Amino acid sequence: MVGGAAPPRVGVPRSILHYEFDGAIARFLRALGVEVVLSPPTNAEIFRTGKRLVIDELCFPIKIFVGHVAHLASQGVDRIAIPTIVGHVNDRVFPCHPRSRLPDIVRALGVCDADRLLTPAFRYDREGLAKGGFLALAQSLGISEAAAERALPERRPTRQTPNVPVAPGGLTIGVVGHPYVVEDRWASNQLVGRLERLDCRVVTDTAPTPIDYAPEGTGLHFALAARTVRMTRVFDRDDRIDGIVFLLPFNCGPDGDVARHLARTTSKPLLTLVLDELQSSAGLVTRLEAFIDLLRPVPAAAGGRST
Amino acid sequence: MKHFTFSWGNNYIAVRGLLRTLGHDLATPPRIGPAIAERGIACAHPFLCFSGKLVLGQIAAQLEDGERRLAFMSSLGPEACRCADTSDYVRSLFAEYDGFSAHRFGGGGFDGALENLRSHFGPQIRRSQCFRAYAAFMGKVDLLYKVDKRCTRLRCLSTEPSRVRAIEREALDRIDRAPGPFALWRVSRWFDRATARFPLRREPPSLRIGIVGGEHILSELDSIMAVIKGMAERGILLDWRSGFRMLARSSERTLAPLKEKCRDYLHEAPSTSELFSCAHALDFVSEAYDGLLHIYAFGCMPQTALKPVLQRIAADAQMPLLSLAIGDRFAEEGLEGRLEAFIDLLDARKNQGVNP
Repeated sequence: MVGGAAPPRVGVPRSILHYEFDGAIARFLRALGVEVVLSPPTNAEIFRTGKRLVIDELCFPIKIFVGHVAHLASQGVDRIAIPTIVGHVNDRVFPCHPRSRLPDIVRALGVCDADRLLTPAFRYDREGLAKGGFLALAQSLGISEAAAERALPERRPTRQTPNVPVAPGGLTIGVVGHPYVVEDRWASNQLVGRLERLDCRVVTDTAPTPIDYAPEGTGLHFALAARTVRMTRVFDRDDRIDGIVFLLPFNCGPDGDVARHLARTTSKPLLTLVLDELQSSAGLVTRLEAFIDLLRPVPAAAGGRST
Repeated sequence: MKHFTFSWGNNYIAVRGLLRTLGHDLATPPRIGPAIAERGIACAHPFLCFSGKLVLGQIAAQLEDGERRLAFMSSLGPEACRCADTSDYVRSLFAEYDGFSAHRFGGGGFDGALENLRSHFGPQIRRSQCFRAYAAFMGKVDLLYKVDKRCTRLRCLSTEPSRVRAIEREALDRIDRAPGPFALWRVSRWFDRATARFPLRREPPSLRIGIVGGEHILSELDSIMAVIKGMAERGILLDWRSGFRMLARSSERTLAPLKEKCRDYLHEAPSTSELFSCAHALDFVSEAYDGLLHIYAFGCMPQTALKPVLQRIAADAQMPLLSLAIGDRFAEEGLEGRLEAFIDLLDARKNQGVNP
């Protein structure tokens, strides 16, 4: 750290951009010598806190995110990192509006003092997260550009196809959806674990893949919806994948837009599960079991299985 | 060749002006009402914004009537609403209709607009034709906005609101029929003279309400905005500064001062819709309006993301704010009830010193 001062404790919400950036912000801050306080995995209390603060109409993940910020604010951290993702350098694909407004929403809700927030703006380029956001983050902590350059994370190349397990037997299910839904076990209602308990192998692609185009036949502007379409097509064309589960968070406009498009254009069985704040697992388990039974050559439902 | 589009209020008239300049024509979109809304709700995903559902409802109705060539104007500026540039997506939703084509106009600057016209009508479109087409479009958009604003104002200030409505209907008809810039100028002069002669009420407006919100809802006339504008006839001055015209004319240069104005509330890369609503809300605050009305389609991402920001602006300024989300279960009765309660509140605050 510069000047020998005590390193600040910087809180990083374990939500939305933490997953979308594959933890790159926390790793970068640690590499700079900053003490990072990562909020705990999402739980019911964090969600309830966010839900109390956020207007009803905003989507499920934003409520979770604000809950994480409120948790960090109560932990006495010096600063809280809320990066903004503003789009791709090609100006063709963008984040959805609520995701690009996260710092403004947090400020407007009065979750914590505005001067405690670190809000660098990030863009994607063809190699991944452009470095300008990292440099801005370092600068706002008073760290030199040279030190920030040394701490920059490895850039990730675009990954075209996921790594599909090839073990024989059983079903292989591709799960598509936003990284902050698929990877957040509470938000996804333990979906991956539930599928594995149904003897399925699960393939996800949660790498922060930059997408610099709208998939053909969509004209989509929204980066993560375009990613959902692209990943669904990858799974649809892969003979090793037996079925696809699409996790759709409640009131997500971009993915809601593509849901019917995917239902019409996907040839493999596709199950769309809307995840909402009610978090009831009974209906979800029944639908998952029915979907898996449909995919199996011999239905096993007669056994009265329970997950 | 005949095309079809969705209405966005009366703005289809400007799209028709553009097409007629190129020797084509445009069908009049069906009026927005419960039947159109139900069609849209049936063919859209539930999470699509209500404006999007109305658009899909109008498209579905016209496809069933045999129309096949959808031509629509997306914003010309840096607007990133999902409604822009989704012609491929729209086509995929109605793939069962043989021969259905969807094409957007607009695009980044003159060259982008020319490229879009050529991709739709063929490479024979000349630059001069493109210029004339967009001159007709912009001229009509501007005049439609002027008529809409002035007539809403006169419905508040004049003693004969029914005559104002008649003038407005005639003005829309004349704008639609005007074949070129000179004819539009004559319509504008006729409108100025016709509206200059209106007898005005002696008393000033009882309240002044600033309206912000989604441009697609603000430009809608047949159901939602008709109720809102009905408030004007009760002596309430309504003012809004967003709309299709501003979207069509926005550019990085025109948006820069708005970004500066909003810098305490909006930071990185706000969309045009967010920027307009935030900046205009701040204008209404600084001009000491009596209240703010925020109207948006349920599911509209920019306006939903902006709602906490508007609540903060209103709280900071101690100005009453009513947010109205217009959604699938929209009913005029409920809308009128909430508006009346809001007006009563503003009235009490202004005339009786009651602080809400």
